[in-house]
Amino acid sequence: MDALAHREINCSGLRRLIGAAFVARLVGVSLLLGALSASAQAVHPTESQVKAAYLYNFGKFVTWQMDRGAGSTLDICVLGKDPFGPVLDSTVSGESIDGHPIAVKRLVAIQDGSHCSILFIGSSEEGRLTSILPFTQSYGILTVSDMPHFAERGGVIGFVSIEDKIRFEVNRSAAEQSHLTLSSELLKVASSVIEQSSNGRRP
Amino acid sequence: MIKSPARSLSTKLTLMSVLVSGVALLLACTGFFIYDQVTFRQSLVHTLSAQAQIIGSNSVSAVLFNDAQSATNTLAALKNSPNIDLAGILTADRVPFAKYSRDGEQAFVNLRTLSDTQIEGYWFGRIHVILLRKIIWQGKLVGYVYIRADLIEIDQRLRRYGLISLAVLLVSLTFALLFSSAFSRTIARPIVGLAQTARRVTLNRDYSVTVAPTRQGDELDGLIDSFNEMLKEIQLRENELQKAHRELEQRVAERTRDLVAANRELEAFSYSVSHDLRGPLDVVNGFTYMLLKNYAGQLDANAKESLQSIRAAAKRMSELIDDLLNLSRLSTSTMHREEIDLSAMAQAIMEELRRDAPGRQVEFVAPPNIQANADTRLMRILMDNLLRNAWKYTSHHDHARIEFGSEVKNGRTVYFVKDDGSGFDQRAADRLFQPFQRLHSAAEFSGNGIGLATVRRIIQRHGGEVWAEGVVEQGATFYFTVTPLPSTR
Repeated sequence: MDALAHREINCSGLRRLIGAAFVARLVGVSLLLGALSASAQAVHPTESQVKAAYLYNFGKFVTWQMDRGAGSTLDICVLGKDPFGPVLDSTVSGESIDGHPIAVKRLVAIQDGSHCSILFIGSSEEGRLTSILPFTQSYGILTVSDMPHFAERGGVIGFVSIEDKIRFEVNRSAAEQSHLTLSSELLKVASSVIEQSSNGRRP
Repeated sequence: MIKSPARSLSTKLTLMSVLVSGVALLLACTGFFIYDQVTFRQSLVHTLSAQAQIIGSNSVSAVLFNDAQSATNTLAALKNSPNIDLAGILTADRVPFAKYSRDGEQAFVNLRTLSDTQIEGYWFGRIHVILLRKIIWQGKLVGYVYIRADLIEIDQRLRRYGLISLAVLLVSLTFALLFSSAFSRTIARPIVGLAQTARRVTLNRDYSVTVAPTRQGDELDGLIDSFNEMLKEIQLRENELQKAHRELEQRVAERTRDLVAANRELEAFSYSVSHDLRGPLDVVNGFTYMLLKNYAGQLDANAKESLQSIRAAAKRMSELIDDLLNLSRLSTSTMHREEIDLSAMAQAIMEELRRDAPGRQVEFVAPPNIQANADTRLMRILMDNLLRNAWKYTSHHDHARIEFGSEVKNGRTVYFVKDDGSGFDQRAADRLFQPFQRLHSAAEFSGNGIGLATVRRIIQRHGGEVWAEGVVEQGATFYFTVTPLPSTR
């Protein structure tokens, strides 16, 4: 078994050497497929790599009410300070969800984000949350952020760090208000699921 | 000795049916067992596959969001399947991600690879079966489910199956033994009865017995019926035969009695005649002798010659009477048969003949040690007659050859006396052995025609046959046989 495992590694190593164009994709795939485990052989992914992969994976467990036209893209938008850099683009490049190719958009203002399906709100926007969330709710956008207590403050999914691992909290009420259906699978792996509607309770 | 075939037939039948049913059962058990093993393995794999599928689809999010705890919780549901001792989820890079272990910490062993087209694979080991299934979600490989189940249940099944088979086999064989011994008895008993009766019939020649029919209407019944009918038929024939036999014996006894009486009368008659004839003959003989002796001077030559003729005739008549007396005695004297050497006897007679006529040139041929079981005195008379005959009928030849010998014809010994003398016409052969019948005139060869009659009488008393072959002027051969054993009737 060890021999087999080693062969797998060698394969991975070989592929990495083939071309720089593949490198990013390879990292993405290994993130996607859970190579995040603390195994010595895997490349230790960075926090932003993990978050980028999660961001994409969330899309697979969410059903939107909005009707995207056939062939149109599924947009992952970033508002405020972008923590990902090129990582997010490389992670989702060539991927699709339910037949919709994924596109990464960076917003200057929330008003430009009506076409977004998933919106990552940078921590720089913490102060403007009360104006952002009503917008996203009205457009049925899945909001994700790594700012503290994001889910409790009315966001749908908030990244948290537990025991040096990146987990996430889910606010079901917020999802409902955004007319999003979250898969039970997603709820199952959430570190906590918040039922309260706290829109605007916390500034 | 009578019982052993009975037991063997019944035993054979019993053994046969027990063997047949045993083999059939064994084959059936083996077939069922193999079928059971195959289906059990199939259903085991099926179950494991279904479990792997459920675990796989329930672990997709856990793998994607790196939630090993969630995956472990999912795996923990396998506690309800006690035969699964090790299970786990591996990432797409085959890195262990979550694990369930029934009996403490264990590593994933025998982790094999699946080809690109293969979704699932399983491997049977000696004590484990390992199933590996890909987790495919939205067309992508997410990870693997690994399940290992122990085969203790197969072992247990095997043991249970073996025990049940053994029990079934034993019970079935016992029943087969009981039934078949009962059945075989119903088949064997009539045959055995038949065999015993047949043996009794052959041993005791008792055809009055019958075999009890089985009344089962089968071939055996038919056989017994036929056998009984055959016995009845034989009995009937036997009775007729015995009746005919008795009648025959009675008739023979009557005839014999008549014959014996007639013979005795005849012998008494011939004896008295011979004896009574001798008296007057002695008178004739005595007085002619006196005449020749006392009155020789007074008689002329003519008268002397007449007297001589009378004397010669009287002498011949006396000899004739002697022979007749001898012949009649032959019939009445008691016989004592023993092994005798005919060759030596023939040689002795020939020497006697040569002494009486020393001038004759006769070659005598006889191989030594020709044996016969016969009465010595009678055989001496017989050989004397035959050799004397040969001697007599070769007297016209300057050089004669007489042969005595024996040969085996049709399984019996035939003795013969052969000469190259005057012989006889074969057409007259039957008359040779009649008393007083002569083929040659007395002038040619002396004799009274009693000799060969005597020969025939002696041979008759020995239960044999006598016959002659001859060609005129080329010789004659006289053959005779005696029954080989005195005890034979």
